[in-house]
Amino acid sequence: MDTPQLIENFLQSLTAGVLTGTIYGLLCVGLTLIFGVMRVINFAQGDFMMLGMYFAFYCFGAIGGQIVFGDVIGPFVAALLAGPAVFLAGLVAHRALIARVTGTGAAALEAEGHYAQLILTLGLSLVLQNAGLFAFGSAPVSISTPLSYSAWEIGPLYGDRISVFVNQGQTISALLAIGVAVAFALLLGRTRLGRSLRAAADNPRAAIYMGIDVERAYRLAFGFGVGITAIGGGLLASSYPFQPYVGLEYVIVMYAGVVLGGLGSVRGAFFGGLTIGLVQQLSALILPTQLQNTAIFVAFLAIILLRPQGLFGMAARRA
Amino acid sequence: MLEIADLHVAYGRIPALNGVSLRVGAGELVAVVGPNGAGKSTLFNAISGLAPVTSGAIRFDGRDLASVPPARRAHLGIAHVPEGRQVFPSLTVRENLEVGAYTDAGRAAWEETLERIYTWFPVLAERSRQTAGTLSGGEQQMLAIARGLASAPRLLMLDEPSMGLAPAVADEIFERIVAIHRERAMSILLVEQRVAEALHFADRGYVLEAGHVILEGDHATLSDDDRVRRAYLGM
Amino acid sequence: MSDTFFGSGRTSFGIPDRKRGVTPFSVPFSRSHRWWILAFVIVYGVIALFVTNSYQQLIMTVVPVWAVMGLSWNLLSGYSGLISFGHASFFGIGAYFVVLALIELDLTPWIGIPIAGLLGALAGLVIGIPTFRLRGHYFALAMLAYPLALLYVFEWLGYQEVAVPMKRDAPAAYMQFADQRVYVFLALALLSAAMIVTRLVERSRFGRSLLAIKQDETAAEASGIDTLRWKLKAITLSGAMAGVVGGFYAIVLLIVTPPAVFGMLVSAQALVVAMFGGVGTVWGPVIGAATLVPLADMLHAELGHIVPGIQGVIYGLAIIAVVRLAPEGVFWRIRDLITDAAARRRSASSATPASTPHDASASVARSAGAGSPDTGAPTAGAEEPVSAARADSMTEDSPARPAENDRRRRAERLSNAPVVLEVRGLTKAFGGLHAVKDVNLDVREGEILGIIGPNGAGKTTLFNLLNGFTAPDAGRVRLYGEDVTGVRPNRICRRGIGRTFQVVKPFARMTVAENVVIGAYVRTARDDEAAALAHRALETVGLAAAAHRIAGQLTNRELRLMELARALASQPKLLLLDEILAGLAHDEVRELIDLIARLPDLGITVVIIEHTMHAMVRLVDRFVVLDHGAVLASGDPDAVTRDPAVIEAYLGRKWLEGYARDR
Repeated sequence: MDTPQLIENFLQSLTAGVLTGTIYGLLCVGLTLIFGVMRVINFAQGDFMMLGMYFAFYCFGAIGGQIVFGDVIGPFVAALLAGPAVFLAGLVAHRALIARVTGTGAAALEAEGHYAQLILTLGLSLVLQNAGLFAFGSAPVSISTPLSYSAWEIGPLYGDRISVFVNQGQTISALLAIGVAVAFALLLGRTRLGRSLRAAADNPRAAIYMGIDVERAYRLAFGFGVGITAIGGGLLASSYPFQPYVGLEYVIVMYAGVVLGGLGSVRGAFFGGLTIGLVQQLSALILPTQLQNTAIFVAFLAIILLRPQGLFGMAARRA
Repeated sequence: MLEIADLHVAYGRIPALNGVSLRVGAGELVAVVGPNGAGKSTLFNAISGLAPVTSGAIRFDGRDLASVPPARRAHLGIAHVPEGRQVFPSLTVRENLEVGAYTDAGRAAWEETLERIYTWFPVLAERSRQTAGTLSGGEQQMLAIARGLASAPRLLMLDEPSMGLAPAVADEIFERIVAIHRERAMSILLVEQRVAEALHFADRGYVLEAGHVILEGDHATLSDDDRVRRAYLGM
Repeated sequence: MSDTFFGSGRTSFGIPDRKRGVTPFSVPFSRSHRWWILAFVIVYGVIALFVTNSYQQLIMTVVPVWAVMGLSWNLLSGYSGLISFGHASFFGIGAYFVVLALIELDLTPWIGIPIAGLLGALAGLVIGIPTFRLRGHYFALAMLAYPLALLYVFEWLGYQEVAVPMKRDAPAAYMQFADQRVYVFLALALLSAAMIVTRLVERSRFGRSLLAIKQDETAAEASGIDTLRWKLKAITLSGAMAGVVGGFYAIVLLIVTPPAVFGMLVSAQALVVAMFGGVGTVWGPVIGAATLVPLADMLHAELGHIVPGIQGVIYGLAIIAVVRLAPEGVFWRIRDLITDAAARRRSASSATPASTPHDASASVARSAGAGSPDTGAPTAGAEEPVSAARADSMTEDSPARPAENDRRRRAERLSNAPVVLEVRGLTKAFGGLHAVKDVNLDVREGEILGIIGPNGAGKTTLFNLLNGFTAPDAGRVRLYGEDVTGVRPNRICRRGIGRTFQVVKPFARMTVAENVVIGAYVRTARDDEAAALAHRALETVGLAAAAHRIAGQLTNRELRLMELARALASQPKLLLLDEILAGLAHDEVRELIDLIARLPDLGITVVIIEHTMHAMVRLVDRFVVLDHGAVLASGDPDAVTRDPAVIEAYLGRKWLEGYARDR
């Protein structure tokens, strides 16, 4: 293979990596929010994402989003609407199940509840996956839109030899993902609600002294966490086919990105997800397709074993 | 304003408070002193709703707090400045104060309170954009107190504000507390290890030991009492 | 050194060893367990003989498989508390090895399966060594990643679907039988073996050490348990079990695919079966598998075409229900219900039991009176404040404060005694804050030294440095001349430094004796000797009569005595007591003080951190006062409690000024 071809492959992979990476980043932001505030690793995160994907799918299709918003912006509107929908589902799940496992007040601040919550989310994951199988069927689906198939061409560069194709649908998804992440960062950083969430994450006991309802903060964090990931899922829905077990495929992507960015750091999670996306796409240059995910695993295990506090941001520390 | 009647607190099988009664009147500065393990922090946590009360009553403005969930108590006007500062380390100084003003009363009086806080603790104005985790011990203590004040409380509870601080810094903090008390006629419940300093400015004091109130009185009667020294040192 | 100490320990305890050989280690149903297992096997086998439907036979084969997986999971996670989400790693490795060895090497599964067990063990060791360095969440995540990584690797290697080849000539030699019932019996045999192994572990120091690690890993380390070694042993054995049963499962299923053996559902099933049935018991996974596997499978058979994935839903709902309603599992819940009902029947028929010591002391404290809220003046004269009254009464009838002559003689003897612990220049800083600053102290053999100081003075950090939980930035610690600086806690225990902790977390479901014997394991490899040491320790603290009682029912005072007994069982030369008097009522404090005062007679030097000062001044020979991490003063109680520097540290400068002025 000659140099221009190599460069083209590299640039194409880089582009793909950035485009998928930004969406992975959004997925990771949701997961790390839950961990940062509640100190719980949500095993069901991928399955809430799956719910988001299917919500976007049905919103666009059966419910008529396509008719109302058209082919072009329809999918994106549906993806964004998946956020609030899954947010509500998350609130319900938390109040009905997760909050009940630990006591409120002082007991909730101890570590004992956390294993129970961990295992509860595992159970929730199993139920969601298989209920999804029942509700949606096992055939893979995706949202197909004209933008999914169109691409801008950057080039020709280097004489006539290098062209990089940038998928239009994915680009808009990526921009939306960045937009949502930034909007959420603003919510966390500038609003009273965001401050209360960060305070509850930093020091739940002191937060209670201030009059912050920490139980409610946990519930909101859970809702936001799964809702944000669901938007990411909705955005992915128009690029890749999916089925009810899709959460499993993304679980390791999300965890790798979150750990890489430092558990609990929102900014770190976004860049962590971006990095994982790049690793995944760039590894395709040297590895066969099936091993792409293995590359992520290896990276994940390497980070956990060698540098658990992550590369970006700081692993959130409790006061 | 605050009335505690025969309060018993136990963590599982371990009793922490064994029938404590005390009261804080409007505008009073009341000091609670006593050796380690006497139950002083437990007392505060019981008032804030985070300690397991087994019997007895805590009444604020005549209202029994047993029915008030912990997160609501601050909104009644009780500010708890915890032992060991306990600031929010990843938030800036200003954000810490904003969280302090989470209550309705705090938000209503925000502008004015912030100005007063910056007057009492100018260093906080200087460092308002710094993250709280990077402040020195003394600065964090000032921030913790200011954070308590930001909620425009009617009762300010301070748990060992001088702990871990150099004496000069501790003195400075103490002076501010006293100034605030004078200026605002705010009710203050102060737990302190430095007995004489605490009693000097207090209207009344209680000596707590092993979960009981063993002595009670004003500054004059307690200051010279060798039983206080014996409570701390055993002989 | 330890030999002679062990020898001297026997005589220095001074208590004749009457009960040697008789163990009070009565885990409920322990002897009858053997018979229950046998009964279970027989019943299951008989049912298997009569079942002719091949589908039901398959279920009867698969139930023991998952029970073994549950037992395997239990061995690592149920006993040690390290939740593993990755047991599929060992299962899949076992499965693939057996099938591939059969295909490539014509290796019969009769040999292949045991080798699969060895591979599983090896995998456990390889995974365990790096992963056990991780804590909590990170451990769970890493364990999750291993099987999923293997899944992708095997898919890439091209083993998406590997089938067991038919061996027509000598099928039995290759574990291929026409009669499905043979597989049921093989599975049953594997299950019996797994249950027996689990029981053996449970009743041995292996099992107890794992439980200790689960209960409180810090305290276990301080008691001399090499936590890393036991964890590695647990994961190795666990991996072996899972590997064996994975290999067997491959033969039963005839087709191996990566998701079937490495997938999330495999790890989840192992976990759910164990947690649903009961954690930390051999019957839990059996109950879990026997309940959930047939249920899920039959629902799948009936409704699978309508509700695909119903298996997953069943397992998910099962785990949610268990976590919400019976967190320790069905077995424990049922047992608790039975024992509670029995206890209620017993107490209804007998006289009302006396109130517990705790209640009695609490009411004594209450009636002694707190200051009344409305009197402004202090309670001078007639109504004396409680602590002073109590303090005086303690002087009167407490034997722990010897007369003046005795004290002088004792002090003289102590000043000539050898130095047990020598601390020089010990320093530790966290971030910028000096927790301990250049501390020097000597502890002499046979003395009781009190470490005191205001809040945050660094006392607990000092203990952590002496005990090996924290490594110092500078300085040396020597025990009888040997350098023990920075030695790990379980090694330090072996060398002779024992420690109690303020927060006691016992094995609530085990007897007092079983809780205490943990401490003895560091001293001897023989279980009967350990039992004897534990018994002697119990007699020393006065809990020998309570040896058979379940620890979960103890009062605070009894718990503290048990904690002390556990530390004594390791035959320490130096005992570090960390706030052992917390939360005790006055008469209980006196009792414990008397006990501690006798420890030097048993050859134990004591260093104690305590806040209950009125008790300390009567107990200790010397005080060392820490303030802001440095030694402020040291000396006998009289001198130290009147030392101006100490008064200032505790009560503040103003108080000191007033005090000095008045003297």
